[in-house]
Amino acid sequence: MSLRRRSLDEEASESINVSPLIDVVFILLIFFIVSATFVTVPGVEVKRPEARTAQSLQKNSVLFAISERDEIFHAGARVSLEEIPRLIEAASKNRPKPVVIQVDQWADASLMSKVVAKARRNAPSVSIATRKSR
Amino acid sequence: MMVKRHSPKTEEAEINVSPLIDMVFILLIFFIVATSFVNEIGISPKHKDSTQTISDSPPLSFELPGSGRITRNGSLIQLAEIAPIVRTASSGESQSVLVKVYPGARAGLATQVMDRALLGGAKAVKLTPMAR
Repeated sequence: MSLRRRSLDEEASESINVSPLIDVVFILLIFFIVSATFVTVPGVEVKRPEARTAQSLQKNSVLFAISERDEIFHAGARVSLEEIPRLIEAASKNRPKPVVIQVDQWADASLMSKVVAKARRNAPSVSIATRKSR
Repeated sequence: MMVKRHSPKTEEAEINVSPLIDMVFILLIFFIVATSFVNEIGISPKHKDSTQTISDSPPLSFELPGSGRITRNGSLIQLAEIAPIVRTASSGESQSVLVKVYPGARAGLATQVMDRALLGGAKAVKLTPMAR
C-alpha cells in the first residue's frame, strides 16, 4: 500500500523544469531589446552606386531614398524637397541623428546634391549609401 | 493525523510561471519582428568650414555636364584619372574637392567621382548643383 502511494505521488509532482527555458528566452529577449534600433526604412528599392572608400555607416540614422524616377522617399511615402528639414527635425527628437541617403545610380545627380544640401542644415553628417565594388 | 498530512501540500505551493513565460514570449516576438538589421555602407564626404577653403587656394573642381562625361576646366577626363589628379594637386596637405553637377548627370557617376576623390586623399568633397 505504502509503495503504491509513493509512486503515485512522484508521478503527480513530476513536471518539466522550465527554468532553463526561461533563462534562454530572457537572454534572447535582452539581445533583441539591445539590438533593436527602430529605423524607418524609406520603402523603395534602389540600386546603389559602387564605391571603393565605402565605410560602415551609423545604424541609428534618418534614411531618405531617391528613386530612379527622381522621387524622394522617406518612411514609405513620397516627400518633396522642401519637407526634408522638417522630417529630419521630426525624426531626431532630442538629439540630432545622421542622415543617410540611398540614391539610385540612375537618379539625377543635381537632385541628390540638393537633397544633401538640404539635409546638411539639420543633420550632423550626411552620407550616401553605396555598395561594395567588385 | 489528517491535519498533519495536509500541511506538506501547502509547502509545495509554487509561483505559477506560465503567465510570465507567455508575456516574455510576446515581448520576444515583438522585438524579433521590430528589429531591422540595417547595415548600410557608404561614403561620408566631410564638410569643411567654407571660410577656410575660400582663404586657401580655390578648391579642385570637377564638372559633370550630363551625358556621362566628366570634365575638368572644360577638358574631358576619365574616372580613373580623378584619384591621381587629386593626389598630385594635394601634394602634402589634403585638399577639398568641388563636384559641380549639371541637370542630367547621373547620381551613380557623381558618387563614383566623390569616391575617387576621397580615394585620392581629398579631405572634403562638396556637391554643388548648377543651373544649366
